[in-house]
Amino acid sequence: MFIAQRFTKDFSVKLCGSLCNSSNMETVLSTNALTKEFGRLRAVNQLNLEVQAGQVFGMLGPNGSGKTTTLGMLMGVVNPTGGSFTWFGQQPSHHVRKNIGAVLEHPIFYPYMSGQANLEVNAMIKGASKASIDKVLEVVGLADRRGDKYRTYSLGMKQRLAIGSALLNDPKVLILDEPTNGLDPMGIAEIRDIIKKIAADNKTIILASHLLDEVQRVCSHFAVLRKGVLVHSGPIDDVGKGEETVEVIAFHDDLNHILMQFQGTMSVKRTNGPFEVKMREGFSAGDLNKFLFDKGVVVTHLLTQKKSLEKQFLEILAESK
Amino acid sequence: MLLHLLKVDLKKLTNYRTFWIVCGIYFISLALLTASGWEVLKFVGDKVADLGAKVNFSRVPLYHFPDVWQNLIYVAGFFKFVLGVMVIISVTNEFAYRTVRQNVIDGFSRLEFILSKVMTNAVLAGLSTVLLFVIAFITGLIYSPELSFSEMINDIEFFPAYFLQLFGYLSFVLLISIIINRAGLTIIVLMVVRGLELFIMYKALHIPESMAFLFPLESIEALITLPFQRYWFQEVLDHPLITTVLSAITWTFLFNYFAYLKLKKSDI
Repeated sequence: MFIAQRFTKDFSVKLCGSLCNSSNMETVLSTNALTKEFGRLRAVNQLNLEVQAGQVFGMLGPNGSGKTTTLGMLMGVVNPTGGSFTWFGQQPSHHVRKNIGAVLEHPIFYPYMSGQANLEVNAMIKGASKASIDKVLEVVGLADRRGDKYRTYSLGMKQRLAIGSALLNDPKVLILDEPTNGLDPMGIAEIRDIIKKIAADNKTIILASHLLDEVQRVCSHFAVLRKGVLVHSGPIDDVGKGEETVEVIAFHDDLNHILMQFQGTMSVKRTNGPFEVKMREGFSAGDLNKFLFDKGVVVTHLLTQKKSLEKQFLEILAESK
Repeated sequence: MLLHLLKVDLKKLTNYRTFWIVCGIYFISLALLTASGWEVLKFVGDKVADLGAKVNFSRVPLYHFPDVWQNLIYVAGFFKFVLGVMVIISVTNEFAYRTVRQNVIDGFSRLEFILSKVMTNAVLAGLSTVLLFVIAFITGLIYSPELSFSEMINDIEFFPAYFLQLFGYLSFVLLISIIINRAGLTIIVLMVVRGLELFIMYKALHIPESMAFLFPLESIEALITLPFQRYWFQEVLDHPLITTVLSAITWTFLFNYFAYLKLKKSDI
């Protein structure tokens, strides 16, 4: 599991490396004290967000934290109670929306129409060419089912058609709200592949999800909402900084005692299997390895546990209470 | 621009089987029943004659120019409910499927959404008007004993009035569909609302008949008045009153405007 996590971590770093063109930052989205009240409920509270071009921006938060309401405001279907926002530095208008592809909550189409006909309607609204329909159907792998009625599609196909529709106008920004909700593992993998493909195409992606693993895999930046309030915003790379925990296995009777002697050790815990050494800041697994080797202890297992986004997320939520 | 909006809405509808069925029922029944009225009356007359009574409908110039215009238009007015149901289905579907939301996300403004529906209403009203004109023209040619141009164009102003009546009615249907959002409930409201208006006008407010044209549905209905009393030698109004027309135009505009306001204010 840790190996897998390290691999995906590498991937997200690579992804960011290719996308985060720090020299030419352009603000895609900026919100200023954006607020929405439903009666007495304040669903979104004084939200200030900035999304730069090329970012894959994850929006995290428990159910009901205001993610979809926020995206609804940004896409013009929910009227804000207060505050403002700009897309590409412009005041929001339906013209701006034509250049943003968005899937909010579940896919929405006319069930009695074929996938093709549905995309034709959407292409007309967006002012996209008919040729783009063939292209996006190819991207999302629905070319051979285009003539079938939408209501006969499986959930995974519906999600893919929705992503395809969002891509129609070759938008600079893509908004995906829980794109893998309710999908089976195959469907999730398919959607993730599509997102990676799109991200590699130098598009800005805003991805709302409560699946943290998913966000950590694909996002370069993330923000955390709780009860409509922004409680954290920053790059994903920051996750895992700070103190580390190192797993150690070595065949030595008094390992616990030796580990405690290391000056970089904050605490040692043994659940079952490896010892878990919590390190002081500035010390790494390498320092520990050297120390043990000098003590004549040869380790058979040494692994740095990176802090997962999940852990960090729960910490952020706990701190914000 | 408006044409583009119309194309979008027609694209949604022409792929919808229910649309073809309801519109088919509407246009076919409208055509058949208005065109065959004379034959039906003859048949009834013959049946009554068989029973011993003598009724001669042939002296009643129902299908003669210029009477045929107003007669057929008045009867056609009863069919507009079917068209209203089609509009209700078209609009409430957008809320049931939440496609109005996706349309806006995809780049429609709310005004464009309403206008696309308004354009379809205009097309449906226009098609009905053209169809009725053709039927009245042909049946008039068949049944009129002698044809004179002045008789033929007499009363022809009922056609713009008929268009206004249909368009105004469908605008009202659009408004209540946008407000209520549910097909079944909207159809029920459409069925009872005219009776409710009559009750308010004459039983609750006791307004004089001369003021009736100020009421929304009344102004639409009063565009085409009942023509048949003329056959028992009573005066009939053989042209739409300008006050009624102005009132109907004003209400039609307000229906569409309020529909837009309602959509603009709501979270969809």
